[in-house]
Amino acid sequence: MANSKKIIKDGLWDDNPIFRQVIGICSALAVTNLMLNSLIMGLGLMFVTAFSELTVSLIRKFTPKHIRMMVQVLIISVYVIILDIFLKAYYPEMSKALGPYVGLIITNCIIMGRCEAFAQNNSPLPSFLDGLASGAGYTFVLLLVAFFRELLGFGTIFGYPVLGDSWTNWTIMIMPPGAFFILAIIIWVARSLSPEEKKEGGTI
Amino acid sequence: MKKSFGYPIIFMVVITAFFTSILAFLNYKTIDVIAYNQETDLRRTILYVFDIEPPSDDPKAIEDTFNQYVEEEELDGQTIYVVKEDGETKAYAFPIGGTGLWGTVEGYAAISSDYSKLLGLDFISHSETPGLGGRISEEPFKQQFRGLDLTGGKDGEYIVYRPAPNGNVDAIAGATLTSESVSRFLNKDIDNFIKLKKGEK
Repeated sequence: MANSKKIIKDGLWDDNPIFRQVIGICSALAVTNLMLNSLIMGLGLMFVTAFSELTVSLIRKFTPKHIRMMVQVLIISVYVIILDIFLKAYYPEMSKALGPYVGLIITNCIIMGRCEAFAQNNSPLPSFLDGLASGAGYTFVLLLVAFFRELLGFGTIFGYPVLGDSWTNWTIMIMPPGAFFILAIIIWVARSLSPEEKKEGGTI
Repeated sequence: MKKSFGYPIIFMVVITAFFTSILAFLNYKTIDVIAYNQETDLRRTILYVFDIEPPSDDPKAIEDTFNQYVEEEELDGQTIYVVKEDGETKAYAFPIGGTGLWGTVEGYAAISSDYSKLLGLDFISHSETPGLGGRISEEPFKQQFRGLDLTGGKDGEYIVYRPAPNGNVDAIAGATLTSESVSRFLNKDIDNFIKLKKGEK
């Protein structure tokens, strides 16, 4: 159990994909102008990462090592397409709002990275958990970025007006550059809160 | 695991076939739902431009209202939509579109059968900046076109932004280029449609 606790803590904070590993930030910049979009994107990524890691881990003993990347990409794309079909069929408004970004989950480095780094060497259940935790870490940062962007850019949170009419919307927050500022500030704050431990064996 | 030539190929073929069949099955199961969603979207747009309020946002209600009022027709290779009352044509809806600031803007506009009034317009897809040009799909902008008088339009200049002397619509502040392109393709498409329709008679 101690092990699964560590996996969850790693995914959410110590090894958070966005502000610690700095991967998967393209979509973190793209879809974070509304909190609802970010939430759905995050849940989608959790689903894809968790099940891809589970599947990769299940068949890791039969997969020839030199073609494992091909197999991983195949598995990831299957889950991404499942998600895309699901959104199109049962949540068409969200499918429209996220547009091409659902399909682009496949290129999110978090999934490939976790499949290669974790699922390839661990048994199915911890892999599934690791996928959930990494996805949750990503979702949490996305929501944080979206919170500030939507609040400053639209004066709303999850579509509910909170700042009133006197608030002047910051258009830059809605546009991609706004995400750069917010994300950079979040990474800065998060890294000052928990500075990276010195790697054993000395650093350069 | 020993390295063999055949095993990876067989492995890849089997696993690809397996996952592809899962996807094919899912696709087959949902294809009708997705097609229906897209139709609902289109019907909602058409009803909106005709200013017909469906009783609820339920897809079935939208479909019923649509079938009750609207008929499809062909005009010059394009599908247009017609509202008839007691066998008499009341209004037409036709596709509009052109290049915006960042990409293609597409939508529908409705016009009364005597071509004197624009009944409304709606955009189905655009890639303008959210919060700036993207506001063309917001209610306050679209509302301006409801019942807009077209009889004053000379030389195909139906939509003119204020503060021009004969302006009839407000552009979007901070989105000059998007506003300009919207009025450009609207004027062109309205003019084309009227000419086509009149030429037909």
